[in-house]
Amino acid sequence: MKSARFDEIAAKVRAGERLSEDDGLALFVEPDLLSLGALANEVREQRHGDRAYFNRNVRLEVTNVCVASCRFCSFAKLEEGHPDAVTMTVAQALENLRGKIDPAALPTEVHVVNGLHAGLPFSYYEDLLSALRAEWPTIHRKCFTAVEIVFFAQHYGMTVDAVFDRLIAAGLESLPGGGAEIFHPDVRARIAPDKASADEWLDVHRRAHARGMFTNATMLYGHIETYAHRVDHLLRLRALQDEAIAKNHPARIQAFIPLAFHPDGNGMKQLPGTTGIDDLRTLAVSRLMLDNVDHLKAYWVSSTPKVAQIGLAFGADDVDGTIVSETIYGAAGKKAPEGLTVDDLTRLIREAGRVPVERDTLYRVVQEHPRAAPEATVKLRDRRQGRHLQVLDEV
Amino acid sequence: MERIRIAGVGFLNAAPLLAGLGDDPEVDLFVGSPAEVTRRFAEGEADVALLPVAAAIQLGDLELLDLGISSAGPVRSVVVVAERPVASIERLVLDASSRTSVVLARLELAARGCPALAHPTPALPPDEAVALASGATGALVIGDPALAVEHRFPHVLDLAQSFRERTGHPFVFAAWAARPGAFDARTLDRLRTAAKKGLAERRAIAEAWALERKLPAEGYVRYLEESIHYELGPAERAGLLRFAEDGARAGLLPRATLRFVGETAPAKPSVDAILDRVVAGERLSFHEAMRLHDEADLFSLGLAADAVRRRKNPPDVVTYIVDRNVNYTNVCTTSCKFCAFYRPVGHEDGYVLSREQLGAKLQEVVDAGGVQILLQGGLNPALRIEWYEDLFRWMKGTYGLGLHALSPEEILHLAALESLPVRTVLDRLHAAGLDSVPGGGAEILVDRVRKNVAKAKCTSEEWLSVMRTAHRMGLRSSATMMYGTTDRAEDRVLHLLKVRDLQDETGGFTAFFCWDFQYERGTRIAPGDHGTVLYLRTQALARLLLDNVDHVGASWVTQGPEVGQLALRFGADDWGSVMFEENVVSSAGTTFRMNAARIEDVVHAAGYRVTRRNVRYDHLDEPH
Ligand code: SF4
Ligand code: SF4
Repeated sequence: MKSARFDEIAAKVRAGERLSEDDGLALFVEPDLLSLGALANEVREQRHGDRAYFNRNVRLEVTNVCVASCRFCSFAKLEEGHPDAVTMTVAQALENLRGKIDPAALPTEVHVVNGLHAGLPFSYYEDLLSALRAEWPTIHRKCFTAVEIVFFAQHYGMTVDAVFDRLIAAGLESLPGGGAEIFHPDVRARIAPDKASADEWLDVHRRAHARGMFTNATMLYGHIETYAHRVDHLLRLRALQDEAIAKNHPARIQAFIPLAFHPDGNGMKQLPGTTGIDDLRTLAVSRLMLDNVDHLKAYWVSSTPKVAQIGLAFGADDVDGTIVSETIYGAAGKKAPEGLTVDDLTRLIREAGRVPVERDTLYRVVQEHPRAAPEATVKLRDRRQGRHLQVLDEV
Repeated sequence: MERIRIAGVGFLNAAPLLAGLGDDPEVDLFVGSPAEVTRRFAEGEADVALLPVAAAIQLGDLELLDLGISSAGPVRSVVVVAERPVASIERLVLDASSRTSVVLARLELAARGCPALAHPTPALPPDEAVALASGATGALVIGDPALAVEHRFPHVLDLAQSFRERTGHPFVFAAWAARPGAFDARTLDRLRTAAKKGLAERRAIAEAWALERKLPAEGYVRYLEESIHYELGPAERAGLLRFAEDGARAGLLPRATLRFVGETAPAKPSVDAILDRVVAGERLSFHEAMRLHDEADLFSLGLAADAVRRRKNPPDVVTYIVDRNVNYTNVCTTSCKFCAFYRPVGHEDGYVLSREQLGAKLQEVVDAGGVQILLQGGLNPALRIEWYEDLFRWMKGTYGLGLHALSPEEILHLAALESLPVRTVLDRLHAAGLDSVPGGGAEILVDRVRKNVAKAKCTSEEWLSVMRTAHRMGLRSSATMMYGTTDRAEDRVLHLLKVRDLQDETGGFTAFFCWDFQYERGTRIAPGDHGTVLYLRTQALARLLLDNVDHVGASWVTQGPEVGQLALRFGADDWGSVMFEENVVSSAGTTFRMNAARIEDVVHAAGYRVTRRNVRYDHLDEPH
């Protein structure tokens, strides 16, 4: 139920005041879900009105071989030679993408994340980027998590900036938000002991912002972390963004993406996974705490399209993209479909009462979709709802 | 020019208001029972109707004409008859045909401290109701049958007179009603001309009516000329408002938002004010429910539904049942467009489960600690009533599980197949072991929608009447709503109102479930825009409208467990059943399944205690 504490926080939000760590914690434990959601929705609608964003993207994972052994990961940590290990050559990667890309309707983004493969030369990644640029110059290349960047720096003996210099020259345009997991060392040491630390992750993003590369940021929640760890995570990101703003960096964190932990096929399968209630609460608290981050994504692959849809009322303004092929969550037993079409996504957004807006990676508008379904597909129309219904065979 | 669609009641007392309308080429006149007149108007099949006032109040935001049916003294056609003084009767049998009189009867009897009130029995056709009136049982009789029986009972309470004595106001039974703006000059002219003509001809109307029935005319002439008043002046309006107030106070009616033609519309209450009232226990009208549907935000709706859910059920407990949905045959003659499950007669994939197959399924339920079988199937003309009787006896005798079986559609099919009345079919199945009736096949209880999804489906009234009969026999049932085919918001709200009306009569519904149509190959309705937000809104609205239904179940089978958890914050207090299989929905693409342990985990994770229940929602263990 609503409490005096919640009212106090709500008053701060409405006055445009910044929430404290203590406020963040209170939001996780105190208010009922719907009062919290209503407050997050106020903020969301102030920023974005009725709009909800999506993009048309394809994903590529060139290798699932990984030297790290994150306990939540069902995707990688395979050694080369393992029967399930896959490492594509650049030619194979292109071939793989050609299978997913419709030349008549080019996606606007390719999203590349991989395991940490110790046996590939650095030039492999440069070749990959330049091959992507050569074949699809208009498709934005959002590649490599901060964890991979740190790995490149260490493994190939370069500074992070030197890694960036070479990858940007080869065609890198922005960074995805993965690898953040939970920053707090108490948790990170237990679930992701042998990859980039919180500071290293944050440093990569800081340097990316300084040189004009936009980034996203994630949080993997719902495993062994506490609410305090989640709030700590949000605050570290907020501080990073503050810094980018204060130093007037040419780029920032564009979107925050909470990722629900799924327990299948990884080292934490005894855990229950998240609830729909927790998924929405986390979105809402994120929206309220991250007052300096523009976009909040209800990532449908992680939360299922059904929950993502409701997420658009709990603070989220983005549902991610059409995504042809997502092997990482697929490996963790998630039952979300492999890809959604533009029609699926616009319907999902319209059903949530929002206006679908296709964006590119940098949130420039590609196309505003109408609030209601296009007339051509409508036989029987529910005017009140803007819902379209069609009886396929009139007997 | 479009014809004016007018619906009027076929009782003698209404005839003077309808005089000449039937011959008017610009008028499309329908004459029928108050219930059918109400249905037509509510579903948009009539522009103007002589509406029973309770129906007008239920719909809300209507304009009334100063012409209707009222009485300032004894009316003689709305009476409670009994063999002992009416205030001392213990049971009241209701006449099914008019909600207004039912509300009036309950108000007047309550004012007399009559104990019959708490448990009115399901409505019956008038002759059956009269036949039951003996000893401690009284009967409410309405309309022309009342005039025919008034001399057969020593004690007759004239309800209009009782109202008059209690309140000092005349009682209004019905009035011409239309949606705001629909009383245009042409319509008003037609109705006033008809009334003028009819009032002048009252004697002739009564005489013709009596002659047709070979009855002495004089009593009927007096009835029309003296008992009934047709002009609704200030006194009648005051009586109408008083009735609405009393009905709302007793929780039988929503707050009235009616006005007479020419009066300015009262200021619209805010959505928040409507929500506050419903949380406090007031009834919603159709109009108010539509406003909530269109204007209330997701959170306010959810919070209000949650408040109602907490008032009605233990706030931190969620129930579920261990039962199994067994689809005994997929052969069906109906071919609903949303159904991917059925096979036409003669199709090679058609099946009827054998005793061995059924036995194996039932044994699994027994082994899993289950308490019930939910048995449903297609409308298979090869299976006769004896087949069901044998099956039920065998199932009950061998496995001892509760039998929640055969939706109204299947019962109607059996009645038609065997040329037996529904009551007989139900009696025989009940004797063979039927315990309760599932609420499937309700889809949307609006006939336009039903015809869209399946020409051959039973009408909404047929569906409701099977439930009425079952409830009258003491069989409980659930109520469901599948939306998202060709329904509009109005249709969904009307569906909920029909469930609420029947529940007022019978009290037989245990719980309500809703879900959206699940698109899949094999169904013949395109996927529409529904989705989970609409699901949560619809369920919350149902919790708010169905103030007389105890439980609302989360439809996690179609929405997924995560949304199911959220549904618990939007009015649901029940998690439905474990899923061994569910063919009708799962052939349409939904694959969510859970065993009991998983259900308990999921409910706990959502922050509730959990307990098993039976079909009557009795807790079978301590909530934990
Ligand atoms: S999460 Fe990334 S770094 Fe960790 S094991 Fe999986 S692929 Fe490797
Ligand atoms: S829904 Fe029932 S009645 Fe309709 S076709 Fe399917 S099995 Fe037959």
